[in-house]
Amino acid sequence: MSMTAERVPTPALMDIRPDNWKLAIIAGLVVSVIGCTALPVAAAFWVVGAMFAMVAASFVVNAYRRHYYGGLLISPAIAVLFVMNIFPLLWSLGLSFYAYQSSQQSMRFVGLANYRKLLTDDLKAPELWANLTNTAMFTVLTVSLQMIIGFLLAVMFAKQFPLRRYLLILVLTPMMLSVVAVGVFFSYYYDPTFGLISQVVKAWTGEQFILFSNKTGAVAGIVFADAWMWSPFVMLLVLAGLVSVPKYLYEAASIDRVGPWRKFWTITFPYIRGLLMLALLFRTIEAFKMADLIILLTKGGNDTMTISYHVIRIANEQNKTSEGAALSYLLLFVVIVLTNLYLYIANRRSSQGN
Amino acid sequence: MTKMTTLKSFATALSFATLMTVGGATFAYAEDITLTMAVPDWPPTRIMKKMFDEQYKAKSGNNVKLEVDFIPWPDFYTRVNASLTSGEQKYNFAVSDSQWLGAFVEGGYFRKVNDLIDADPELKAVMDGMHPAPLNAYSTYPNSTPNYYGFPQFPDVLVNFGRSDILCNDEEQKNFMAKFSKKLPCTGEELDAMTWEDFENVGKFFQRKKGDMLAGKPADDDFYGIAFQAGKGYDFSSMQINGFIWQGGGNVWDETKQPKGQAEGVVNSPEAIKGLERYLNLLQYMPPVAKTGTMDIFKSDELFREGKVAMNIDWIGLGEASLDPKTSKVSDKLVFGQAPGTMGADGKMVRWSNIGGQPFVLTTWTTDAQIKEAVGFVKWWLSPEIQHQFAAGGGQSAIKAVYEDPKYTTYRPWNRAWAASLDWQKDVWHVPQFFDLLTQQQDQFDLAITGKQDAKTTLDNVAKYQQNLLSEAGLIAK
Repeated sequence: MSMTAERVPTPALMDIRPDNWKLAIIAGLVVSVIGCTALPVAAAFWVVGAMFAMVAASFVVNAYRRHYYGGLLISPAIAVLFVMNIFPLLWSLGLSFYAYQSSQQSMRFVGLANYRKLLTDDLKAPELWANLTNTAMFTVLTVSLQMIIGFLLAVMFAKQFPLRRYLLILVLTPMMLSVVAVGVFFSYYYDPTFGLISQVVKAWTGEQFILFSNKTGAVAGIVFADAWMWSPFVMLLVLAGLVSVPKYLYEAASIDRVGPWRKFWTITFPYIRGLLMLALLFRTIEAFKMADLIILLTKGGNDTMTISYHVIRIANEQNKTSEGAALSYLLLFVVIVLTNLYLYIANRRSSQGN
Repeated sequence: MTKMTTLKSFATALSFATLMTVGGATFAYAEDITLTMAVPDWPPTRIMKKMFDEQYKAKSGNNVKLEVDFIPWPDFYTRVNASLTSGEQKYNFAVSDSQWLGAFVEGGYFRKVNDLIDADPELKAVMDGMHPAPLNAYSTYPNSTPNYYGFPQFPDVLVNFGRSDILCNDEEQKNFMAKFSKKLPCTGEELDAMTWEDFENVGKFFQRKKGDMLAGKPADDDFYGIAFQAGKGYDFSSMQINGFIWQGGGNVWDETKQPKGQAEGVVNSPEAIKGLERYLNLLQYMPPVAKTGTMDIFKSDELFREGKVAMNIDWIGLGEASLDPKTSKVSDKLVFGQAPGTMGADGKMVRWSNIGGQPFVLTTWTTDAQIKEAVGFVKWWLSPEIQHQFAAGGGQSAIKAVYEDPKYTTYRPWNRAWAASLDWQKDVWHVPQFFDLLTQQQDQFDLAITGKQDAKTTLDNVAKYQQNLLSEAGLIAK
């Protein structure tokens, strides 16, 4: 890339040129606003889309003329991100201020009514709260179980022993299965009539064992299935950390006659801490979104409804699109707060460590 | 290229083009027309597709192809709903569960078919020849008005699946007589005559543990007398509970009485509560899975086919699998009857039950050419000959002339219960809010089924929710 080219002067604001992105933004905004007020929704959608494309094109031309090649190179990624993520996000934010059902053709601006209804309605607010507490419970239980099991598995597989490779493949299998397959598998596993658990318990007590007959059992069943599936993921990350610890550190520690506990805390742990935190973050975010296993195993019965499943129901099944959008935004808010809290703690920890 | 050859080739091309045009004018081309259909994946739709592929020739001479998306039942609503509301306009035809009509008619997806029926005397005659219960449930919106939207694809009712080897066993017969002073129902006629009390007795009677004597042999596993749907998913408890409520003189929110008809006071009337209590009371005699909220129509059918229960109330649509020795351990020991009823004060049996089955419905974006072929297809489908074939292959017909034919009862063992059951079918709501009503109700019923709350609390909660939702939607006026 040569830097010899002359710097092209920035065009004046009202200069009609393809690289005048400031003017493009203003024109785009004006046309979009007029289009939205004057045209039917279906046409306005495309007008706004065309305006976005125009602004994007002028950015590209501008970048090209001024040799911002770095910007140009990432522009396809940004375009995809915009079309697939940012635009739908903004669109659903807009929807959450309307009374709109995807199965009906009418649309009415209602301001914050959807949010107010979700948070204060005497039928909906308790349901939302119950689903949120359930989600929190599942998150804490599944993630802590996965971290413990995953960590122990990793410690085991960090050592060499016969058949290690085959066992490792076997242990990693659940992670690669589809959630649907796992759900169906466990629903048979737990089934009181045909299920393995019930058969084993029956051999002792003579009675069929109904795991899903109360909330404790149902939660235990779901948590176990989820941990079965995702502990290998935690294991994989931790294992990567464990094998990266240089052997000579342990050898040096052995010469100094350091005990195994101290070896772990001063040598091993610093190497895997970052990966543990990463595993924790990934699994927490995933657990917060848990719906698939619950749909397959209990359908939300025995008070196991989570917030994600609740959103699916409202937005997809009952077609209450705007109410679902509002709920999603409340959820997004919670996730952002939690993630920032996590990052804050993680950063403080690592700065202390240093 | 010389001028001459250019001219020559031009002339050839011209004559060829003329030939094409003339040919096109004189012989109508057989057009390729594809009808895309969304259907639930089960025998009645598989049979239809097979019959279509093997036999269908459009009268118009066009090559009509039927492209069918088979969707598993538990996801069927979600998938069709997503397709319709997303605006992808994929399907010309959808097999729609009867309750969906309101939601999708109001949304502008389902096409009204009155004009097609009026324009076609043959089709009109077919519609007139249909039993009014399925016709109203599958075709009309608002319910029971002459506004038609669908044609029956597969009509269905709940029937009683029984195990003749157990029920007709001499020893069991003798013991049952000794215990209840009544005959253990064994033949189809005896099953027809059963009340829910008799059904309960069968449940009480067959509570066998592994190793206990069952029909003269030690049972190889726990064995239970009765089963019916008690699942949390889709409508897998409402469809049975509604029957109990109606038979006891109660009612669900009645959409035909809009806007005067209330939910509170009706849905939780003492009769309705009594009905739900009777339903819940029977669960204790069923396989333990009944109390988990996962015993849906498929589970109870599976239990029956695996030989774990003596009687199961289920849809005819699931019946084929129980007849097939590959999927059923009881294929050669079956007896079928109408679902049990309630003895009225006048000594006559009351048998109200929730209708099953589905219509197919045309979507609004279907082109005129496709509609023409679709009507042709519907007429073919509802013609007596094809309906007889369908019934012989395991389907059902709502057309009187077909099911009143003496041959009809010989096709499948449950067909003997068909005509008599039809008169007692009602349906739940077809309003756009149906899925909202249904999921809340299923959640509440699940709490009752799993023993977390009693019948009164359950129906009070349902009534309160419905009153609130339907008032907001303007379907209930205070």
